[in-house]
Amino acid sequence: MRLLLVEDDAMIGESVRKGMQQDGFAVDWVQDGRAAELALETNLYDTLLLDLGLPRKDGLEVLASLRRRGNPIPVLVLTARDAVADRVKGLDAGADDYLVKPFDLEELAARIRALLRRKSGRANPVVQLGNLILNPATREVSLHEKPISLSAREFALLHALVERPGAVLSRAQIEEKLYGWGQEVESNTIEVYIHSLRRKLGTQIIRNVRGVGYMVQKQT
Amino acid sequence: MNSIRRRLLLWLLSGLALAVAATGARIYTQTLEEANELFDYHLKQMAASLPNDSFDPLPPSKSGGPEIDDGLVVQIWDRNGLQLYFSHPTSKLPQRAELGFSTVETARGSWRVYSALEQNNIVQIAQPMSVRQNLAAGMALRALVPLLLLLPLLGILIWLTVGRGLRPLDQMASALIRRTPDSLDPLPQDGLPEEIRPLVLALNDLLVRLARALESQKAFVADAAHELRTPLTAVQLQIQLAERAKTEEERREAFAHLKQGQLRAAHLVQQLLTLAREEPGVAARPHSTVDLAEVMRLVVSEHTPVAADRTVDLGVSEEKQAIIPGDFEALRVMLGNLVDNAIRYTPRGGTVDVALQLRDGTAAIEVSDTGPGIPEADRERVFDRFYRRDINHASGSGLGLAIVKNIADRHQASIVLENRVPGPGLHASISFPLR
Repeated sequence: MRLLLVEDDAMIGESVRKGMQQDGFAVDWVQDGRAAELALETNLYDTLLLDLGLPRKDGLEVLASLRRRGNPIPVLVLTARDAVADRVKGLDAGADDYLVKPFDLEELAARIRALLRRKSGRANPVVQLGNLILNPATREVSLHEKPISLSAREFALLHALVERPGAVLSRAQIEEKLYGWGQEVESNTIEVYIHSLRRKLGTQIIRNVRGVGYMVQKQT
Repeated sequence: MNSIRRRLLLWLLSGLALAVAATGARIYTQTLEEANELFDYHLKQMAASLPNDSFDPLPPSKSGGPEIDDGLVVQIWDRNGLQLYFSHPTSKLPQRAELGFSTVETARGSWRVYSALEQNNIVQIAQPMSVRQNLAAGMALRALVPLLLLLPLLGILIWLTVGRGLRPLDQMASALIRRTPDSLDPLPQDGLPEEIRPLVLALNDLLVRLARALESQKAFVADAAHELRTPLTAVQLQIQLAERAKTEEERREAFAHLKQGQLRAAHLVQQLLTLAREEPGVAARPHSTVDLAEVMRLVVSEHTPVAADRTVDLGVSEEKQAIIPGDFEALRVMLGNLVDNAIRYTPRGGTVDVALQLRDGTAAIEVSDTGPGIPEADRERVFDRFYRRDINHASGSGLGLAIVKNIADRHQASIVLENRVPGPGLHASISFPLR
């Protein structure tokens, strides 16, 4: 899952990026409104974490123009403005959730997961595909009710595939979901993760569509 | 006796009583004068009308003789001084008297005496003055009684009228008492007596100023709380990352970040305190005389390590002598903030010059850097609290220049910010008036 973090404060931005990466998200971080718009135009993100008091272009303006263009990306507003009127304004401008500073990394991650869940039309926090069960909150995976231990990247890859069963994700799309800017991707890393996942889950679940990418089978 | 009502009552009643007394005295003297004229005429008439021939030498008996009213005493002598008639032999009136009117003092008070020569006899008629005085006093008293009776009535009237006149004051007081500390709307001015209007106008003026001060205080506290959120958020996140750290190296790094976050929060709190202390309206510490050159040398030496750390060349380029009345500590903070900003915005290898110049009757402390300068449009706003121009320097509190402005204002100094020509760089100049 790839997040765009828009936060002008260097310390907060650095900490959120690090914390969310530890939770298995790929995070791109920009520090002003214009850079945020540029990033949104050139990349595909699963969630936008938006501070409101931004230099160059205010967060609310970024949000409003985003919605005007019909971009449905889930938006979580992070702000120090906690007055009810501010929250209402933020939500009315098109935010999906509102988190007031200071906030907790665990809560932030939980809210991001809730947004992603809603985006994919699920109410259940657990993702299930046949006998395979993924819990994004705890990053636990079980197959036939037997727990399976995965690394953060392996989990993120599996999660990305399981979120959209039947859809083929290209290697580039998977890389985008797994890595933020500035994180070097070795040329065969994705293959290494797929290989490792197949070793742990069996070869049937993840299928290779030759020349296109990877997918998991839709369960009927 | 510090009550307008009682004081008015006392003075008005005293005045009235005095007027009544004066009226009484006037009536008395006037009546007495008239009575004198009247009675004197009466005495004269009587003397003329007394029978003249029927008087024989005085009989030995005391009885007989005409009884005369009004305490009149009549004596008649013949030419030889023989007493022919004496109405009150016991009276101690003078046996002989000059002709005409005279006033005689006796043991029984003063008498009005009239003597006349009537057909060879000397007729003397005397009347006690007390008769006239009693008459006059009676007249005066009769005139005064209604006035005296009226006095208490007037007193009550004064008491009530003054109370009524002062009622707007009571109403104002109770309106003020009912107020909560934050209801600072002006008092109503309609229908107020013109004596009280200036007081209400002055009060309203004060209320407006109070409201403005309160408003700015509230805004300051809200801004401060809001601004404190940012470093506290950073600290909270850094703590969580430190908790999550798995390796010793991660933990060390996390704690190093945490320490920076804490330093930044502490710096913000320090700046907030300084600003609150320098806020206009806060009682200024007593001014002493300050050697600006000393302030400059101290600040430059304090900032030398930071400048060296960033490889910025910090130094004094010009040092005149200037002693001004001022607050040493505040001036040190002020120049410190300017120099700190200059170092912060100057790229590595740049220069920060501090100078003390004398010109046009002012002493100017100037700080020049080789940083990016400030665009014209931002030069006013940079003095606003919490205004931050550049995200790359977000670790600042946004209060530095607000503090500089407050301290400069307190010293009647003027601040000029301008970009250096040729650039790049900012030139900040603070001019203190010299006496």
